[in-house]
This record gives sequence, C-alpha cells and structure tokens, in this order.
Amino acid sequence: MTLAELSKLLFSPVTLLLYTTSMLAYLYAMAFTKVDRSADEAALAGNRARILGSALAVAGVAAHVAHILTRSIASGRWPRGNMFEFSSIMALTVVLGGLVILQWRMRRAEVMGFVLLGALITLGLSLLVYAEPAPLAPILDSWWRAIHVSAISLAAGIFTMGFVFNALHLLRDTAERRVAARTEAFGGSTVGAAFAGTPTDEDHDQLVDTVAERANPDPDALHDALHDDAYRLALRDALADRWLGVRFPWRIALGSIVVVTLFSLTFQRTSATLAMPLITLAIVGLAWWAVPYLPSASTLDSLAYRTIVFAFPIWTFAVITGAIWAEQSWGRYWGWDPKETSAFLTWVAYAGYLHARATRGMRGRGASWFGIVAFCVLMFTYFVVNLLITGLHSYAGL
Amino acid sequence: MTRIDSADPPEANPPVRRRRSRPGPLGFVLESVRMAWRWLTRMRTALYLLGVLGVETLVATVVPQEPNVPRTVTAWRAGTEGPGETVSAFIDMIGAYDAYGSPVFLATLLLLFTSLTACLLPRTRAWWRIARSSRPPRTNHLGKQEQVARFETTAEPEEALATGRALLGRRRWRLRSPDADPGAEPQVAAEKGHVLREGGSLLFHLSFYVLLIGVVLGQLLGFSGQVGIIEGDEHSWTETQVAYWSSAPGRWWSGDDHRRFEVTLDRFDVDWHRDPAFGGQPSLFLSHVTVTHPDGSSREDTVGGNDPLVVDGMKIHQLDWGYAPRVVIEEDGQVVHDGFLTLSATEEGVWHGAAKAPAADPDIGLDLFLVPYAPTDEAGRPQITGAPWDDAPLLLFRQYVGDLRLEAAQGVNTLDLAGLVEMGNGALRPGRSVDLGEGVTVSFPELRRWVGFQVSRRPTVPLLLAGAVLVLLGLVPALYASRRRLWMTATADPSTGRTTVTVAGRAFQRPQAFAAEYEDLVRALRRELPAPADPPGPSPASENRTSDPRPPREQVVRR
Ligand code: HEM
Repeated sequence: MTLAELSKLLFSPVTLLLYTTSMLAYLYAMAFTKVDRSADEAALAGNRARILGSALAVAGVAAHVAHILTRSIASGRWPRGNMFEFSSIMALTVVLGGLVILQWRMRRAEVMGFVLLGALITLGLSLLVYAEPAPLAPILDSWWRAIHVSAISLAAGIFTMGFVFNALHLLRDTAERRVAARTEAFGGSTVGAAFAGTPTDEDHDQLVDTVAERANPDPDALHDALHDDAYRLALRDALADRWLGVRFPWRIALGSIVVVTLFSLTFQRTSATLAMPLITLAIVGLAWWAVPYLPSASTLDSLAYRTIVFAFPIWTFAVITGAIWAEQSWGRYWGWDPKETSAFLTWVAYAGYLHARATRGMRGRGASWFGIVAFCVLMFTYFVVNLLITGLHSYAGL
Repeated sequence: MTRIDSADPPEANPPVRRRRSRPGPLGFVLESVRMAWRWLTRMRTALYLLGVLGVETLVATVVPQEPNVPRTVTAWRAGTEGPGETVSAFIDMIGAYDAYGSPVFLATLLLLFTSLTACLLPRTRAWWRIARSSRPPRTNHLGKQEQVARFETTAEPEEALATGRALLGRRRWRLRSPDADPGAEPQVAAEKGHVLREGGSLLFHLSFYVLLIGVVLGQLLGFSGQVGIIEGDEHSWTETQVAYWSSAPGRWWSGDDHRRFEVTLDRFDVDWHRDPAFGGQPSLFLSHVTVTHPDGSSREDTVGGNDPLVVDGMKIHQLDWGYAPRVVIEEDGQVVHDGFLTLSATEEGVWHGAAKAPAADPDIGLDLFLVPYAPTDEAGRPQITGAPWDDAPLLLFRQYVGDLRLEAAQGVNTLDLAGLVEMGNGALRPGRSVDLGEGVTVSFPELRRWVGFQVSRRPTVPLLLAGAVLVLLGLVPALYASRRRLWMTATADPSTGRTTVTVAGRAFQRPQAFAAEYEDLVRALRRELPAPADPPGPSPASENRTSDPRPPREQVVRR
C-alpha cells in the first residue's frame, strides 16, 4: 500500500465512520440524559454514551490528522492546495472546536451531536470536490498564502458551528413560541398545549406509556416528569404539519430542500442533486426529533453569538492577509476579483449579524436569520464562486 | 471637572420624529435635514445600508466585471456567452458590468460613510466624557444583582471597605470616590471594561476612515503599468510613461514621477512538472534581471512569482510570460520584418500572435501559432501536443497580403483581415526558413521568451496596512471586553461585634466569564479580611446565586 492509498483509507472510511458513530453516541446521550434526569440509572447511561462519543470523536480527530499528515508527505507539501484539502481542514476545525471549546471549556456536550453532524456534512461536500494530491503552483507557494488559507479555514469551520447553533436556535425558538402561544390559550397548562394542536392517538399513547413506565412512586416527581414530557411532546408537535396522514415538519423540510437543491446544482452532478435533498430530509427529521432535548432557545442563541464572535476577527484577519498576499503576488492588494469580492461579502454579512444582535427588536430570531443568510453567503463564496465563477483564485484543483 | 455617573452608550436607534418647528419653507427644510441626519445615525439604517452593499457586491460577483475580465464582458454584450443580449443590455443599463465604479455603488458608500460619521460623532463624544470624567454609579438594589455574596469578618466596616477598595484598585477597576456622596451610607462602587469595549468599537469603526483615505489617496497618487520584456534583448527597457504597453496613472501622478531606471531581462527560468498525472503544472517561474539606475549604478536581481523587486520605491511584479519567436521576413532580398513577437497563450496550449510587415509592397501579415512541444513521429510528421515545454517547437503560419490597416487601432497579436487576402501557409522549425514564392522568404532563427512585468507605485500601502491593524486592534476588545460593575457594603452587627460584608456584581456581557472573575474576587477579599474564629451556626456564610460551577442554563446574554 502506498502512502497516498493509506491516506485515502484513513479518510474514508476510518475518519468518516468514527465521526458518524461519535455523532450517534452524542445524540443518544443528549436524548437520554434529558428524558430521565431524575433516574440515576438513565443519566448514567447517557453519561456513558457521552464518554463513548467523546472517545470516538478524539479517535476520529487522530485518524483525520493522520490522514492529513500522510497526504502532505505523499504530495510533499502542506495540505492547502485545493478545495478538498480546505474542506477537510474546515471539518477538522469544527470537530476540534466542538471538543475543546464546547465540551471542555463551556461544558455544553449536549449539542456535540449536531456539531459532528456539521463536520460530517462538510466532509461529505469535500468528497464531491475530491482531488488527488498534487504539487502546488509556484504562485500559490507563499507564507502569506499559508497564513491566509489557514485563517480562512479556521474561521469557516467556526462559522459552520455558528450556523448549526443558529439553525437549532430558530427551530427551538419557533417550537417554544408556538407552545407558549398555545399554552396561553389553554389557561397556562403545558399538558393542555400538548393536545392543543391536533392531538393524535400516538401522541397520547406515548405520553401515557412514558408515565406508566416510570417506576418512581413519588407523586411530585411524577407530576414534574409528566409536565416535562408533555412539554417535550408539545415542542415537537408545535413544529409538525400533517400531510398525507404523516405528521412531520413538512414546511421546514420543504424550505430546506429547495435551498439545498439549488445549492447542489453547483456541483453539476446528478448524484449530488438527487442525494442532497434526501439527506436534507433526514437531517430535518433528526433535528425535529431532537428539538425537545436541545438546550433552551436563549442558550442556543448565545452559543451561536459566541461562536460567531470568535470567528469574526479571524475572518477579518484572513481577509487582510489575503490582501497582503495579493499585493505580494499580483501587485495589487485588492482587485474586486470574484473571490475577493465574495470574501468581503461574507464579512459584510457577518458584520450584519453582529449589528442585528446589537439592534433592539432584531435580537433573537431576526439576528439568527441574519446568521443563516451569512452562512449561505459563506457557502456561496466557497463553492459557487470556486466551481462556477472563475477568477484569479483558480486553486480549486478540479 | 464635574463628574457624572457613567451610563449606557447612546441609544443605537433613536426615534425619528418630526418636531414642531419654525413655520415656512425654511423651517420645513431644516427640519427635514435634521430628520435625515437622525435617521442616518440609527444603527438600523447602517444595517440596511450594509444589506444594500451586500446585494451590490453579490451582483458584482455573479456578473463579470469589465475592469477585470473585459473579454468576457465583450462576449456577454455580444450574446455569445452569458444570458443573452437582452439581459446584457439590462445589466449595462444598471451599470453592473462595472459595479464598483457605478454611481449606485458610490452612493451606497457615501451614505454608509455619512451614516458612520453620524453614528460615531455622538458615540465618540459620549465615550470621551465617560472615559475622562465618569464615575461608577451606586446601587440601591444590592440584593437584586446577578451575583451576590455575603460573609462575616471581625474587621471594622471602614476597614473592610478600604480593603475592598485597595483590592479592586490593584485589579484596575475604576472606583467611585468615597467622598462623592456625603451623608449617604458608605458603599464601594466599581466598574470595569466599559471604556475598553466601547473604545474598541469606536476604534474599529473609525479605522474605516483610515482605509477610505488610504484607498482614495492611493488612487490619486499611485501608478501602475504593464510591459513585456524579451529575454536577452540587447536594448534595455527604460521606465518612462511611453515605454509601457498599458498604464493606469493616478490623477495626481505626473510624468516627472517616473524613475527612469533601465531593466534588462537576462534570463527567464521556467519549468514544469513533466509527470503526466499533474498535467504539466508549472513548477518554476523566475526572472533574472539587471536594473540600471539613472546615475549609472546597476545591480542584478531576480523577480519571482511571489517575490517582487523594489526599485526606487516602485515594485516590479512578474505577472505573465509567453514565447517570443524571432521572425524574419524578406522580400526580394530586403528584410521587411525582423523582430521578436510576444505571443499570447490560448486555451488549447498553443501560442498565438501576428507578424506585420508594412514595409513590404503590398503589406505582408503572418498569423502565427507556436506549438512548443511537437515532436516528430516515425513517419516524419510533427505530433501536435498540448504540453507547454519548448522541447520541440514548431511555428505554423498563414500568410496574408494586402492592406494591414495599421492606422486603425488593433491588437499586436491579431491581424485586421478586412483588407488582406490569404496567400498560403507554412510550418517552421527553429533555424529554418521557407520560400513562399514571389520573392518572399520567412525564417525563424530562434525562440526566446518574454515576461510581462507590472511596475507599480502604491504609496498608501503602509497606511492601509496600519488601518487594517487598527481594525483588528479595535475589533478584539469591541467583541471580547465586557462591561461589569461591582458594589460592596459593610455593616456592623453590634450584637456579635462582627461586620457583614456584601459584595454584589453584574456583567453586561459575558456573564459566564464574569461569574468566574467574581468568585475569584470574593475569595481574595475573604482572604484579606480576618475571618471570625468560629463560623456561626448552620446558615451558609456565603450565598452565591450561581453555586453550580456550570454557567446558569437559561441565562440570556446581552449581545
Ligand atoms: C462600514 C460598515 C460597518 C461595519 C463593517 C461595521 C461592523 C461592526 C461590527 C463588526 C460591530 C461589532 C462590534 C461590537 O459589538 O461592538 C459593530 C458594532 C456597532 N456598529 Fe458597526 N459597522 C459598520 C458601520 C456602522 C455604522 C454606519 C453604524 C452607525 C449607524 C454602526 C454602529 C454600530 C454600533 C452602535 C455598534 C455597537 C453595538 C454595540 O456594541 O451595542 N456601524 N459594527
């Protein structure tokens, strides 16, 4: 086996599998610790799952780093040459950022499942632009470029985390608001709200089941649990619409699928255009299932803000070093080349998010929409500009 | 100096209302101007303007820009590429082919900067006042703050407060003077981070002016020009206005600003990865040049892809290169053309150019293609390949005669075929010549290369760099510094002879970070004050609302 083959193997399947199983373990941990906080046994199971998830994520990071190292040795240069390498580093940033900042520093392991999901999507996209390791064109071989590209991929990775939180915030916030609105109509009872929408028999059965299964004799605890479970069901119910006899967040799914399908055209591959909507559907389903277990909307909002605030100066720095590199190699610091333009656009979009956060009346949902749009701009900068619009930055390596 | 209690920064979105004003048209105009100004100072307006700027930039990303890719724009206008002529006409109408030079873009920038000014003036004034002469406010709601801790000490109340003051002072908190409120119950009030955070934000926004000045002055004072120089050419190139192929002098750049140094290209090294897997990617471009100053001193140096050469404050970049065949045309034994042609690359991997001989009668024009690597196969025929290295060059040409119409503008590498008739064609290896009949011979004595250099002077680059550094220096405290306040009281309990100390705090941003800082402060304070010998009773000595080491779950973080 050559080094290049080993490197490929380390990436797919090893890294991908480790990240996927880690994500599943984290998601399991999130649901389990939340459902039965009172029962020690269940909390312990959740805790074990979280530890397993962390271990798998760390192993995944190790395999990922090994992949990058072997690949650099095989091509005799640092992995900054093409889009595949860039996306791979971006995903690594997402996982590492999640482990170090979220789990270790902020003790917010419960959202790690979704952070890994974000990393996996990034890696999936990177496979769409896969290229064999190749030497770098001499014009790309500069220190400023190395700094510029590192900073860009770091910031893009952290922005990806921010997007995950923005999206979850909007989802959770919508659910919370709808439940609150219904609760008011039903005299302040969340139990009432659970059935306020369009109560279905499954909902009812499930609720009764959960209550019956609870072997806790303490009536107060029972009441609390009932209350909690009812609230969770209500949250999930609030997002669902009935269509073809199936309750599912159809409208959210439709919106996401339209956007993703448009985006998938960038890759000009039928397989991508067919698969991406289906994956989106699955992700919406997953997020819907997870809504009750997520941290509260305001926590998600503050996580999103803190992540984006962390990435924004890095992106600013990256744009500045890009200009320095352009001055060095093309003799002009800024030429409104499509890539430069869209990096600037991304910067403006995130500055818009920060302003929205500081503007009364836009804080919260409004700001999160800004964050979503800003991330779409980032994806546009990265994929659409590289693949469809040609400029001087023709390093996509395709 | 009168001291004021420090307060929040000015309202970011002040209401815009029409006040009753002086009657008459003048009053109306004045009032409208005042309203427009108020509207511009709103942050929400800035947000809209940023949105408009974003949309314009997006358009400019999708639509090809004339200053960058003129050829694509020509193709879009002609309808041979892009969305067709109708859409193209619309794009032209809104000026989107040159979005950054369009009036709409300039107007947006103007509005944005006006808004910035309108927004920053009151903010800067308020910041200055706060930084110079504000004092932390007292609180009447000690128990209602985010963080509250109580503990007992045997120290006297005044002593406890003095210790607290000293501790906070050492940690660089801004303190309210103890003499500020005669007659009131003694209270320590302290504040930190407000000057830094708002100051950082102001620095960040103000540095946009530095960038703006840098860009505008750079446009006016700068110069950039392009020229191609042939490898080993015995005539050196002199840096003067007329010597450039094309140039873009700023409005305040004068002909006297040219440096008049001379450049010769001694050698140009170029190489490729010849492994077919990498498709002939280039691995090396390096120009070896000799620069001679007007005073006669000269030096040898190199210009590389990422390694420009600075001569007398002008930067020489190597941007482009191409093959330069020497083509000699003779008519009846007379040389009518002898020179190196600067061929340009085409997408197919062949190089294209034209030789023009107006001295011949009638004019002779050659439309040329150079295939750098065309090895001869067994049958003796040249194999055309797309490889870029010149190991087996072959020059193909078509001969035209007639009128070259050189009086009309035309590219150096294209012929104007309107007045020409095609005569025949030929192929040449280096060192060969071919007889085209009617006394005309064409020869191809040697193949060299030419390099396209950009020579530029951008005097404001250091200023721009300083502006960029200021942007970052301002951004970091603007985003990460947090404004926080702390209060402390001490009351004596005559029955026990002890003093109860209450420390309360609140953070306007980053409550989690503040919780840790606060805990540390309280701990340090307790260490410095003498603790009572026996901790009294079962009631907890310290009551900290966030006893959980984890940050409180449902905390709403302001920004
Ligand atoms: C030129 C484009 C602009 C950009 C890129 C920009 C960017 C930013 C950024 C990144 C922040 C976050 C820093 C912080 O939280 O303190 C910020 C804050 C702020 N910006 Fe801007 N800004 C621009 C123009 C403006 C204008 C025109 C105004 C006024 C109308 C304005 C008013 C503010 C205010 C008041 C804050 C502070 C928010 C707060 O801390 O509460 N900005 N700006």
